[in-house]
Amino acid sequence: MRSRMFPFDSSLRTSELTQVRGSRYGPEYKDPQVDKEYYRKPLAELTEEEKYERELRKTQHIKAAPASKTSSVFEDPVISKFTNMIMKGGNKVLARSLMAQTLEAVKRKQFEKYHAASAEERASIERNPYTIFHQALKNCEPVIGLVPILRGGHFYQVPVPLADRRRRFLAMKWMITECREKKHRRVLMPEKLSHELLEAFHNQGPVIKKKHDMHKMAEANRALAHYRWW
Amino acid sequence: METAPQSLAAPLDNQAPDDSPRAVSRTSEKDPARHGEQHEGLHYNIPLQDMRTLFPHSLPPRFSMQVKTFSEACLMVRKPALELLHYLKNTNFAHPAVRYVLYGEKGTGKTLSLCHVIHFCAKQDWLILHVPDAHLWVKSCRSLLPSTYNKQRLDQPAEASIWLKNFKTTNERFLSQIKVQEKYVWNKRESTEKGSPLGEVVEQGIMRVKNATDAVGVVLRELKGQSSLGGFRLLVAVDGVNALWGKTTLKREDKVAPEELALVHNLRKMVKNDWHGGTIVLTLSQTGSLFKPRKAYLPQELLGKVQSLENLVPLRGIDALDPFIPILVSNYSWLQHEKAHTEEGKKELLFLSTQTLDSWSGCAPTF
Repeated sequence: MRSRMFPFDSSLRTSELTQVRGSRYGPEYKDPQVDKEYYRKPLAELTEEEKYERELRKTQHIKAAPASKTSSVFEDPVISKFTNMIMKGGNKVLARSLMAQTLEAVKRKQFEKYHAASAEERASIERNPYTIFHQALKNCEPVIGLVPILRGGHFYQVPVPLADRRRRFLAMKWMITECREKKHRRVLMPEKLSHELLEAFHNQGPVIKKKHDMHKMAEANRALAHYRWW
Repeated sequence: METAPQSLAAPLDNQAPDDSPRAVSRTSEKDPARHGEQHEGLHYNIPLQDMRTLFPHSLPPRFSMQVKTFSEACLMVRKPALELLHYLKNTNFAHPAVRYVLYGEKGTGKTLSLCHVIHFCAKQDWLILHVPDAHLWVKSCRSLLPSTYNKQRLDQPAEASIWLKNFKTTNERFLSQIKVQEKYVWNKRESTEKGSPLGEVVEQGIMRVKNATDAVGVVLRELKGQSSLGGFRLLVAVDGVNALWGKTTLKREDKVAPEELALVHNLRKMVKNDWHGGTIVLTLSQTGSLFKPRKAYLPQELLGKVQSLENLVPLRGIDALDPFIPILVSNYSWLQHEKAHTEEGKKELLFLSTQTLDSWSGCAPTF
């Protein structure tokens, strides 16, 4: 939790710390419940716990829902996170349109393949861009990661099991960096991203290669695993 | 699958093509001549072979992307198009050509109604003079040459040669039938004799790009003169006709007025109704127009005032086009065609897809 110190004279400096990054809410604030199904359940079906939960929510403080969260059926937290990672300089409009164009491009490519394929192959072609997106990112997640640990004045790359959120983050980060750097100047981001997503869906392509490289490095540094203390 | 605005959320259902909601809204009637009231709201298929001959490069880009993705072209049969077809079937070719103007807000389907009409006329063996987008002739032109025919006007070789190529693909059969009625001298070595087929003029324009604009002018003049004789019926279809009377963004030391462009000048003469033996169908379009407000869609807004440079008499597009029959193309109403049952997701999709492009700016994001 970073805090900002005001650059005043030391005599005037009181311990004024304002929170710049991080939540302003205290621990008693509950997360907002955006799911419509939660509220549609008839009272008879609720268990004791759920009834208690409902009563509690009527009186407790609840955090404000962020503008990017909707109660729409089409809401997807993975897609929202990916869009935020694509965003540069706070330009959410551009990031969202790029995401939409990417999903559209994926869908169009799959439809073209579908129409060109024979009847037996058609069953195996996946056309839903959301399943392709989720599967591709899942295929890119590394199982084991490397962490630099300081021992005797040197940093050693130690293989370490990764938390779920770290794996998801790494998959998305690799995908985006790959698409930003390894493309021709005139190629647009949605085109490149759709191409990479489709390749990752089929377990091919540079992002999958990066994941395998990470695994190989971890395998090579197997001996250093003892440096991990957690 | 017409120019309905693209919804941002992709539909979650992966239905097989022969599932009921899709089969209901299609019809197997492939001939536009037999489309009637009972076909309203249903999609019909244009065979891909026809697509390549009729619309070589003249479809709106979104629609041609859809055609490429689904490898089929489906147009919806709608009231304005049916109205137009009814008028066309009952035209009297002895009277001067009637002008129909399709107007409406953005994204309502004016261009595709025009395509429907063109398909109908092609099936009926008319000669089709289709200008896919007149706005392309008044903006972003790389090469402007002084005209060889008239010193005060300007040539556009690139656009003219593209148009001639498309014209040739669409009307192959007529090019050998129609004979030129005058002798045209292109330069010292080349000339077209009287009585030679029109195909030669088109070839000349395509090969000698410098004379392409003059070739276009010749073709238009010949067709206008000969359609009255009754050998064939002529359909003049121009999309974005408000470009002919608007301003241009082309510069030749200073601003160029549209009259100075030879292509625009010839097309204006074509659109005048002093010939008979065919019809003129026009579309107004704000999308490619220059210096017009976004919400403008009525004829008097888009065809408004323009000062002509030759004589300082204000020349309004609407005066030049008077009298015309306006046909309003309104937004697609799903209530007639969709089933009553909707789940949560479909409700949202329908809500999103029935708004026109403009009203989306107020919607909250769904992901």
